[in-house]
Amino acid sequence: MKLKNIFKYLIAGILILYLNACSNATEADQLFEQTPTERLNARKTELKDALLSSEFGWKAVYFTDNTVLGGYTHLFKFAPDGTVQMASDFDGDTAVYKSEYEIQLGSTVSVTFTTKNRIHLLSDSDSYPIAALESEGYKGDFQFLYYGQENGDIVFRTNRTVKELRFVKATAADWADLPKNLIMEQNVIGGASRPLFRLLETNDGSTKHQFDFTYTTPTRYAEANSIEAGYTVSYDMGIGFTPTGIVVSPAVEVGGQKLTNFVYNDVDGSFTATGTGGVTAVIKYTDKPLLLTDDYKMLLPGQPLAWFGFYADDYTVDAPTNSPLFYAELAKINAALPAGQEISSIQIYTNHSLGTFIYYTFVGRAALFHFVDVVEDAPGKKVILKHKSWSNATTAAFVTSLDKYLTDPNGIYLKRESFRLFYSEPVYTFTSSSSPFRMTTWKLN
Amino acid sequence: MKLFRYNKTAILAMVSIVLISCASDDQPGESQLDFTQPVKTQLDTWITSNYLTPYNINVQYKWNQNTVDNSRYLFPPTTDKVLPALEIVQQIWLKSYSTVGGADFVKKIAPREIVLVGGVNLNSVGTRTLGIAEGGQRVTLFETDYIDKSNRANVSEFIHTIQHEYIHILNQNKPFDEKAWAVITPVGYTADWYNFDIPESNEIGFITSYARSNINEDFAETASMILIYSKAEYATFLNGIQSPFAYQALKTKEALVVKYFKEAFNMDFYALRDEAEKNTSAVINN
Repeated sequence: MKLKNIFKYLIAGILILYLNACSNATEADQLFEQTPTERLNARKTELKDALLSSEFGWKAVYFTDNTVLGGYTHLFKFAPDGTVQMASDFDGDTAVYKSEYEIQLGSTVSVTFTTKNRIHLLSDSDSYPIAALESEGYKGDFQFLYYGQENGDIVFRTNRTVKELRFVKATAADWADLPKNLIMEQNVIGGASRPLFRLLETNDGSTKHQFDFTYTTPTRYAEANSIEAGYTVSYDMGIGFTPTGIVVSPAVEVGGQKLTNFVYNDVDGSFTATGTGGVTAVIKYTDKPLLLTDDYKMLLPGQPLAWFGFYADDYTVDAPTNSPLFYAELAKINAALPAGQEISSIQIYTNHSLGTFIYYTFVGRAALFHFVDVVEDAPGKKVILKHKSWSNATTAAFVTSLDKYLTDPNGIYLKRESFRLFYSEPVYTFTSSSSPFRMTTWKLN
Repeated sequence: MKLFRYNKTAILAMVSIVLISCASDDQPGESQLDFTQPVKTQLDTWITSNYLTPYNINVQYKWNQNTVDNSRYLFPPTTDKVLPALEIVQQIWLKSYSTVGGADFVKKIAPREIVLVGGVNLNSVGTRTLGIAEGGQRVTLFETDYIDKSNRANVSEFIHTIQHEYIHILNQNKPFDEKAWAVITPVGYTADWYNFDIPESNEIGFITSYARSNINEDFAETASMILIYSKAEYATFLNGIQSPFAYQALKTKEALVVKYFKEAFNMDFYALRDEAEKNTSAVINN
């Protein structure tokens, strides 16, 4: 081909390209009707309208981390001027406070509580319920990413942990009844008069299973472990309070049904969740431990020395296993002692060269021995610490009220606990078999 | 020459197509971005007239996840606590520097943004981070919810934080004589400074235990502690030092700080200290 022709075709080709380039036919499919900015703006408006739409605002039971912590109920009433009124059952202060909020753009459209209010109590690095959460507070967020609406609820995800949090329409009663959540908290903790042991009983309509149930007050968290051999199910759950009972997360799953709402019965202190088809889960009290151990045997005569100690100024005093009655009795001793004196430790020595004795030490006062005999109750898997003598009758008078639980004529249970109290020494509890008295000790030898 | 004529025509055609091809497109309309300013509260107006306008410093007290460390559990200040905190900063820090360094000093070298955080920034080892200075541009102050203007120790700690962070900002603008500093107490620096009592650290030539973390912190601690001490308090502190080596080290460091302020900013450090002392008393007594 001649050079001239090459040019001709080339120019013709380029011309065709040019003419086609400006055709109006855009082949790319539009996935959305609107531009990203328009969609974000629409989303912002949608969230703002939703927040303002409920007459009595919104309610959220916030489970910040349902593997260690319970739920904290918050009530919000948003105003168009960027302020929000808020109340929570985080502590005894259920009053309503005002602060500011903004609709912010995070990884998506979100609502952020921009100045301090009740919800920020969950995100204070310096206020944490247990040592393991030091510098993490209650692991709470106060920026919530908007994920839409469902059945009238606003569905959010937390900013840090991307966990779902639902805002449910609040009612006037929700605001008025918020303090009742704290009364319910006391029912969950259990009064001094209630038995110490609790169980969770599930019924899937045909079979029943029992679980040892323990509740930790500072974290609002409960653990329920199966007591049946060969059945290793356990339910760990965060607990939130309502005026009529509790709500748990994660749900207790029985017979394929997810139970979350338990109703309180003041007669026996039980909490019941009811599903359909005879499915229930009940948290109730029981007079004796579900799981009896042979730990008591180390106290029996002929065994080597065993030394247990409770210390009033050390980690043992904060153990969740101490019962309210035990604390009440400690306080009673300190109230009776002269000014400047207080009880500092309660130790139990068995098969010591001096004998077997309960040993009380004090600040500003000589120590006291209560010598006892150990009597076995093999069928009950417990021991009775039977009174022999006191080393000092005057000092003894201060402690007899507490001492009578340790020397319970019906016996005491000894149990090795699975947790530690900071140090490596194993933790053992002494529990009266006829009253809600439980003392936590380290085994020190 | 036929070919050449064709080319001319073709190019003319192409150019005109380019020129007219996009003529009928839609012109850009109004911006879709939302530029409406949030409603200004009384506090916001105060910040504008006391920080933004005179010093070109923005104060951010409302939560913005982009200016804080999201791995920490922090919270924004209570609105009522913002003004007292800012008044303290204004009175003791901004005014002292303006008086001694000249009205424009802080305008030129200052953090462009102050971020206030209400809560304690607790570290996993149990120490508290009181403030952070970043890139010479931003200072974050923690614990503003716990400020008590009537308590001198409390105000001192808060002011210590801002003085300390500002020294970092100054250093980030003009470095100090790191070589001379590093040879004064070369062996005392340690990562676990928080395991030492302050008197113990004083006796080896450090003004606080935190000063032992590295020479930058040492410089900032030395300068900021002298600034929050009154002249008499600082003299008492020095007289209480037992070790002559420690005494010598502290005096040498003080001299380096004074030299730095003189050479880098032509500022009399002692005059600054006296001004800060005067303003601190004014805050606490009001």
